[in-house]
Amino acid sequence: MNYFAGIDVGSTAIKVALVDEQGQLAGVHVTASGSLFHKNSTEALNALLNKLGLQRDDVRYLIATGYGRKLFKEADDSISEITANAAGAFETGKAYGGVRTIINIGGQDSKAIRIDPTGNVENFAMNDKCAAGTGRFLDVAARNLELDLEELGDYHFQGDKAPLNINSTCTVFAESEIIGLLANGHGKSEIIAGIHYSIASRTVRLAKRVGVEDRVYFDGGPALNKGLVAAIQDELGRELLVPEYPQTTTAFGAAILARNDWQEENAG
Amino acid sequence: MENEIHQVIPINPVPYSRSRQAGEAQTVLDHIVDDFQENPVAMQYFYDLFRQVYCHGDEIPHSGKLVGTTCIQAPEELIYAFGATPVRLCNGSYHYDQRGADFMPAKSCSLVKATLGMLSSENVIPKIGKPDLVVNPSTCDQKKKSSVMIEGMGYSVYDLEFPNVKESEASRVYWRRSVREFANQLRKLTGKRLTRANLKAAMAMTGRAQAAFRTLHNFRRQTPSLILGKDAFLVTNAYFFDDIERWTTAVEKLNAELAERQAAGFRAVQSKAPRVVFTGSPPIFPNLKLPLLIEEAGGVVVADETCSANRMLYDMTAVDEWLLSDMVDSLADKYLKPCTCPIFTRNDDRKRRLLDLVAQFKADGVIYQAFSGCQVYEMEYRSVAEEFNKAGIPMLYIETDYSPDDQGQLSTRIEAFLESLKNRKKRHA
Repeated sequence: MNYFAGIDVGSTAIKVALVDEQGQLAGVHVTASGSLFHKNSTEALNALLNKLGLQRDDVRYLIATGYGRKLFKEADDSISEITANAAGAFETGKAYGGVRTIINIGGQDSKAIRIDPTGNVENFAMNDKCAAGTGRFLDVAARNLELDLEELGDYHFQGDKAPLNINSTCTVFAESEIIGLLANGHGKSEIIAGIHYSIASRTVRLAKRVGVEDRVYFDGGPALNKGLVAAIQDELGRELLVPEYPQTTTAFGAAILARNDWQEENAG
Repeated sequence: MENEIHQVIPINPVPYSRSRQAGEAQTVLDHIVDDFQENPVAMQYFYDLFRQVYCHGDEIPHSGKLVGTTCIQAPEELIYAFGATPVRLCNGSYHYDQRGADFMPAKSCSLVKATLGMLSSENVIPKIGKPDLVVNPSTCDQKKKSSVMIEGMGYSVYDLEFPNVKESEASRVYWRRSVREFANQLRKLTGKRLTRANLKAAMAMTGRAQAAFRTLHNFRRQTPSLILGKDAFLVTNAYFFDDIERWTTAVEKLNAELAERQAAGFRAVQSKAPRVVFTGSPPIFPNLKLPLLIEEAGGVVVADETCSANRMLYDMTAVDEWLLSDMVDSLADKYLKPCTCPIFTRNDDRKRRLLDLVAQFKADGVIYQAFSGCQVYEMEYRSVAEEFNKAGIPMLYIETDYSPDDQGQLSTRIEAFLESLKNRKKRHA
């Protein structure tokens, strides 16, 4: 059996996805990026192969994507995470009547992508060169609030007060703003909802820049946060399609592209 | 006793070749030369020139008075006609950009800040000596407000008045008067008289340079490309400060080599490399950040609509007038009418020129650079984008500055854009 791999070497996590010849997802694996990108990428791939009882030779074609795509030399090719993200979301979205807009929030960037009905990237936008409105922002906020990242989603729905305004767009300044709000006796849930809305409004502005069309797909690690999903939905005024494994859409897309490239090369 | 503990360390000037500016230039130049294969042999002249001037700080000899210009709207033919030498002061160095931040608000254009930073430093680059006069055309706001600051640095500055509506007859009259006044100013500076013969000779000299540029420009229509955009930008950047006749001869040599390349079926890039038209804020050495990122990612810049290249050299001056005053007027017209600078109220010519370049150079897409704080380019983006949208031409808009810290993010965006151009081409095929 032939398999095809996509490996998304992100700033925070390394994601590996494997598909078979039909393009069906065989498995995914997620691990922290750490400081040794190359070593950790190789280990992540091996871990997934072990889990599925496969050998390295079963993988016919491997495409690397993400921030560290050029560092993983074992890959057959590399592709930008925008193209890979679009391919993954397009493929996943087929079962839901098609996806035209993708919102992705990653560890250190956020992006909006508009694709045409055949899956080709039409337009995209990325955040400026800072961590505002990205996963890292949630990380910092959770630390300030002495919570685990996973707890933020639940807190979002617990309060009975309106979300507070977090005005700072800079992660570092927002940190002191959050500390100030805590010192003034505000509850965690209203602060957390405020943080989610602050990310949501930035993200929706980004999406509007590329032009929003249904259906909107939301992925990246922060899509695991239900509170953030609700805030984006509210700001956008449209329903969101959140995949089962939001972290691995881009790796899955790279695997799909690996399969297509391999089939194209071996067609003749 | 205290001498044993305290020490006064005297200022020890760093030689230019070991300055941070020289280091910055060196890094970019090494990248331009070493990280690409099969550079044209005739490019060696330009590589060496930039090494001499930007890395070693060698001076370039010049004749007559030295007239610095901060914009291409200062008619250089007039400067040459008075026996003076023009040098374009617009600067592309990040180190000077940081230095220039003392003069301008933080969110101002890198180009203007770098030029101010350079002029305020000991090392005026290109190393051509201290200008006897700095001509500052009143184009964009940031340049306008620079005059006083440049004066404060001890330069003598001339404000060349430039209109901001292109189409009106009043503007045309106003600008012709400005140019005549500029000629008076040059007469005072040089103590020489403007003659028909001198002006004609100057126009012939710049005409030959423009003709060489046009030939180079036209070679870039070839698919697959014969030369990369990073080299073409370096060639036009050299025009800022190089001796014009030496420059023209070097470009003619390059053109001869491109003709050989063409005959031999040479290709500088893969046949499917996406072809890009570059527009917006001008790439000026060492800030060739975007063109280099585009070409590292496998694209090729085939043409540009910027004031450091095409807009500076493409439009030629007609010299069939008999009277000196008519010649000066026609020269003035050449600087106003074809100009596609975004400082004008309306700028349909820019959109037309861009659409034309995309069609003629078989471009797959356009990359639009706006320096953060260059409001006119930032604002004009909208109307240009609408035009391209209508025409179905993909465009990537990038707001950036001279700092290298966004390169990682930009490379992702550029690669994604080039990938989408490739896919598009595949589907259209």
